[in-house]
Amino acid sequence: MMGVGDRVPNSENEPAPLLDVRNLRVWFDTREGTAKAVDDVSFTLHKGKILGLVGESGSGKSMTGFSIMGLLDSPGRIAGGQVLFQGKDLVRMKAENLRKIRGKRIAMIFQDPMMTLNPVLRIDTQMIEAILAHENVPRHVARARARDALAMVGIPSPEERLSAYPHQFSGGMRQRVAIATALLHRPDLIIADEPTTALDVTIQAQIIAEVQKLVRDLGMALIWITHDLSVVARLADEVAVMYAGQIVEHGGVSDIVNHPKHPYTAGLLDSVPSRSAPGRPLHQIDGVAPSALNLPSGCAFRSRCRHADASCWSMPPPSVAGDHMYRCFHPLSEEPSDPAQTVEARIFADVAASGSQNNQAPVIELCGVSRRFSRSFGLIERGLAKIGLGQKNLVVQAVKNVDLIVEKRTVVGLVGESGCGKSTLGRIATGVLHASDGEVRWNGRNIDTLPIVQRRAEKLRTQMIYQNPFASLNPRLRVAEIIAEAPRVHSLIEGSENDYVDAQLQRAGLDPLLKWRYPHQLSGGQRQRVGIARALAVRPEILVCDESVAALDVSIQAQIINLFMRLRGDLGLTYLFISHDLGVVRHISDRVAVMYLGQIVEEAPAAEIFSQPNHPYTQLLLEEMPRIDTRRRTFPLLKGELPSPLAPPGGCSFHPRCPHAFHRCKIEEPQIRQVAPGHRSACHLNDAV
Amino acid sequence: MSFDTTDDNVTVRTKVSRETPARRFMREFAASRLAVASLVVLALVVLLAIFASVIAPQNPYSLLQLNVMNGQLPPGSSSLDGSQVFWLGTDDQGRDMLSGILYGLRISLGVGVSSALVGAVIGTSLGLIAAYLGGRIETFIMRLVDLQLSFPAILVALMILAFLGKGILNVVIALVIAEWAIYARTARGAALAERRKEYIEAAEALDVPRLRIVFHHLLPNCLPPLIVVATAQLARAIVLEATLSFLGVGVPVTQPSLGLLVANGYQYMLYGQYWISFFPGLALLIIIVAINLVGDRLRDVLNPRRQA
Amino acid sequence: MFAWLIRRLGQAFIVMLIMTVIVFIGVSVIGDPVQTLLPPDADQAERLRVIAQFGLDKPLWEQYLVFLEGAVHGNFGQSFVFGQPALSVIFQRMPATFELALSATLLSAIVGVPLGLYAGLRPDSPVSKTIMGGSVLGFSLPTFWVGLLLIMVFAVGLGWLPASGRGATREFLGVQWSFLTWDGIQHLILPSINLALFQIAMMVRLVRAGVSEILPQEYVKFARAKGVAELRVIGVHVMKNIMIPVVTISGLEFGTVIAFSVVTESIFSWPGMGKLIIDSIYQLDRPMIVAYLMIIVLIFVVINLVVDVLYTLLDPRVRLDSRSG
Repeated sequence: MMGVGDRVPNSENEPAPLLDVRNLRVWFDTREGTAKAVDDVSFTLHKGKILGLVGESGSGKSMTGFSIMGLLDSPGRIAGGQVLFQGKDLVRMKAENLRKIRGKRIAMIFQDPMMTLNPVLRIDTQMIEAILAHENVPRHVARARARDALAMVGIPSPEERLSAYPHQFSGGMRQRVAIATALLHRPDLIIADEPTTALDVTIQAQIIAEVQKLVRDLGMALIWITHDLSVVARLADEVAVMYAGQIVEHGGVSDIVNHPKHPYTAGLLDSVPSRSAPGRPLHQIDGVAPSALNLPSGCAFRSRCRHADASCWSMPPPSVAGDHMYRCFHPLSEEPSDPAQTVEARIFADVAASGSQNNQAPVIELCGVSRRFSRSFGLIERGLAKIGLGQKNLVVQAVKNVDLIVEKRTVVGLVGESGCGKSTLGRIATGVLHASDGEVRWNGRNIDTLPIVQRRAEKLRTQMIYQNPFASLNPRLRVAEIIAEAPRVHSLIEGSENDYVDAQLQRAGLDPLLKWRYPHQLSGGQRQRVGIARALAVRPEILVCDESVAALDVSIQAQIINLFMRLRGDLGLTYLFISHDLGVVRHISDRVAVMYLGQIVEEAPAAEIFSQPNHPYTQLLLEEMPRIDTRRRTFPLLKGELPSPLAPPGGCSFHPRCPHAFHRCKIEEPQIRQVAPGHRSACHLNDAV
Repeated sequence: MSFDTTDDNVTVRTKVSRETPARRFMREFAASRLAVASLVVLALVVLLAIFASVIAPQNPYSLLQLNVMNGQLPPGSSSLDGSQVFWLGTDDQGRDMLSGILYGLRISLGVGVSSALVGAVIGTSLGLIAAYLGGRIETFIMRLVDLQLSFPAILVALMILAFLGKGILNVVIALVIAEWAIYARTARGAALAERRKEYIEAAEALDVPRLRIVFHHLLPNCLPPLIVVATAQLARAIVLEATLSFLGVGVPVTQPSLGLLVANGYQYMLYGQYWISFFPGLALLIIIVAINLVGDRLRDVLNPRRQA
Repeated sequence: MFAWLIRRLGQAFIVMLIMTVIVFIGVSVIGDPVQTLLPPDADQAERLRVIAQFGLDKPLWEQYLVFLEGAVHGNFGQSFVFGQPALSVIFQRMPATFELALSATLLSAIVGVPLGLYAGLRPDSPVSKTIMGGSVLGFSLPTFWVGLLLIMVFAVGLGWLPASGRGATREFLGVQWSFLTWDGIQHLILPSINLALFQIAMMVRLVRAGVSEILPQEYVKFARAKGVAELRVIGVHVMKNIMIPVVTISGLEFGTVIAFSVVTESIFSWPGMGKLIIDSIYQLDRPMIVAYLMIIVLIFVVINLVVDVLYTLLDPRVRLDSRSG
């Protein structure tokens, strides 16, 4: 008898699955009603297999993981279904028996490495207790095992690290400790809940590669919960896609990635920028996911689906079982149409073409810009420093000697990992932050020498779109006031204020009726649009986007990126687009500058930087760029951690991590020089001819 | 408050709620019946205090109305001439306890509220100034705050009154000095936290005038923690005044607050005449409990970690 | 760490200095300075003598230096009431106050922490709600009123415990302590409860707030995910994090307890520093007031210093935060 989601057995001797989740339901009892976070989820997992559980925020994927472990916090509860682990139902198991399994047979890794470890306990304490919770061994034996586990995940000098406290580790290291802890008992199953989301792209690549190797070597099963399809494509054997608390598609990774059947899966895949040609509009999934409190009857995806019809609205779609399972009335059977055919795409193409032609006048020029942050210590420390005991201040060289030109109507992408100084540079470009050295010119004029009145006018022409949709809007003001305030103060409004606000909202893709709402009544994507409308309201020429899409779900991200591109065409805007996500940057930029530890290491037209990267860092970043790619790799390409800006390496700041570093790189700092027309790079390799 | 927005670009299907933050706050506050009841009690107390001279059956400080023969009567007894009933008993001078409490309410509330208010204004201003101006001024103000806060309020007030002597104004001064620091620290902390937020930076980037940023953007968002602190401080001020008066260093005998009334009855307690001390203290307790309950509810509602 | 300690000590020293200035101003500038040093019934000859002896005709800053010198040597003048040096009277009374303060603090820890823990772990149970309701009552009750009630009920009404005074004492480490005798303990009970009530309420709320903040943290979940027994999760992971604010705030509250002992000692006629200061204020024994002030300031500066050091020791994030980031 086949149940929903059962796999058709393909051989008589197929072993029983390690994990068999059947009709799992997780409900939250809140004041506003019952939220169905997980609504009838079923899947199986065999030993040694990796399952990628994919979904956006609110899809229920994390809740599924927690339920398997029995770690649901009230008011959440398992409202139905079974979780069969090696044949035993975990849902109905007694608490003490479940505890014996947790950590020993099933282990879990969480998302935020900063919060996973108890800050007041030492690492060895936390690892030893994990061992002692299940085995009665002498303490020194447990400690030795902990040390070996740390070595296994690639932590250097594990003996010293054991006596350390969590805050003395970086994020990547902490996550490695968490992984080591999970592996202490060689569990049969590991559930990893977004373990690399909070980490830099290069560290993420390292961790994924290491986990992959460990899992293969030790023969475990792994559930990797994430919103990032590119990670899953690289890592998983099977993929299950969740939407609104249900699994809408489940199958082998190449099936799902190359021949998705469910429109949501297809939409999700297409939203990833690397899937579309640069400059083309991204496939976006319109609208937002339904709230778990108010799940609609019928298919949960219907309001956003291009193929929806009457049956989709009235009845829940059947689950079509098989190796490639899906829940849909109208599964896709062919490649979606090429969006390049649509009218919009043609407009985009025109704009892209016109933008990259003749040299436009530069609107922002940064010449030799540096920025230091220093914090002096108190009298005592300064006194001690004078006699040689300690330092008198802390200096961070956030930006060092940067030259950058942004031409009119172009998009310049600024890319780099956290701490490289790109945000600081963005703020210097808008004039919010002053440079410690060098010149900033707007339309050819040094902003420091401008008279105040002119400076003010120029200031309005460059506006910033911020990263955090929650903190960037004043929670006490209505949307209408947020947008209208600045133009009103600067007398930019002709005619009725209401009409003006409506116009801005419409430009940003929002219904004008939303202007009476308060920020807390809007979704993340809507808030970001309000931020854009607010910036547009003062008629800027330049928009500096500081990680403006980083905090958004992939499908919403696609919406906002398309909005940026449309605005560029409609309003002739210039962009400085700051991001750590290469895929997004490649998609939207004309030129790209790569930053590392406060310096620009390479700058070139977008196409060239991606096809012919010169600097080793750029090359390595490109390899790690998120893309839907089912190639497998078993070794990380970029080793080590990002150095602290307080103590940058001597010579070329990249040399400790560079696979091509040679003697000169350690002592001499490379100058940035032209290596091809319009293409500069700072690397000694270019000289070694 | 769930909307059925299916698409950012599509017309919103349901009615948009016009609920202002203020109305939402009141609705959430009122969700606790205990808090609402406390608020009602407080309102009642305030009314009683204001109209004390009208409501009180007797003016306890008018010697004409007193008859020492009525002294030390237990609650519920009638006066000698049968003209009035002393619901809460009388003290040694024949003063009706009920009237005494009603008049005492005035002093207790008056001193407590005025000192809390003055302290709030001074402390908040200093805190905001420190946060906004930064630099040496901020360091100076905050060092002062730290100094002040290392000593318990009661000792500070006691010392000040030891030098100034008794009197209502002196008590208010002492309380203000003892209590302003916590407002300053809270205001500065809130202002610093808000200043770092991106919406302030956006306002600066949009070249909104600085003054407007401070009053229109910064201040309203700093209010929640200040309101919570203010209610707690109000309760503390009232208790502090009562304690000081009880110890005999607070209000003068001619204008007794509830604390002084309790002190008056101290010696009679040992003879079993509990009502002279008990009822004024009970009145005090009710007020303080009500204020604290309201303050607790305020803190829960205004907690910034609660989103919609 | 070293630099920090030096700076902290320096700060403490500066605070002491500032307080001497403030006290001096209070004593000499506000009101009649001669009044300050004389009993109210002195005659003219006395006046002149005092003015000469204390150099009150000299400029203010010189007077301050004289005062400062006296302070450093512990000489604040003779108490009018006791006829002894003010400081020695205070030292005689100190053990009683400390005994009271310590027992109140201990009570608050022993009673408050478990109650707060329970309320935090099971917030919806009726017991927890009672506990929290009780805590509101606990810190709303005016200390002096409760003291009176305690006397009325337990001493006058039921006659179980004495209404006033300190019990018999026994010596330990050169000081007289009353908790070492049964009679002493009997006398200690009511005043300690009186002082402790407020503290217990505070502790309950503090611990409960701490628990409800820490329980949902990821590291607690991770500990459970490792299969660690729930007892250890609460007992080690949660408690260790709570202890930091609890210990530091309790330390500071010890100072408040000493301050409020003024009230309790007055009500229960407990022969400690608090009662001393009240009596001194009544009797206008100004040298005693000055001496008390300085000692109190010293006590508080020491308490703040100790709490700061404790905090650095307890929280590894602060302790090991090396400058290189």
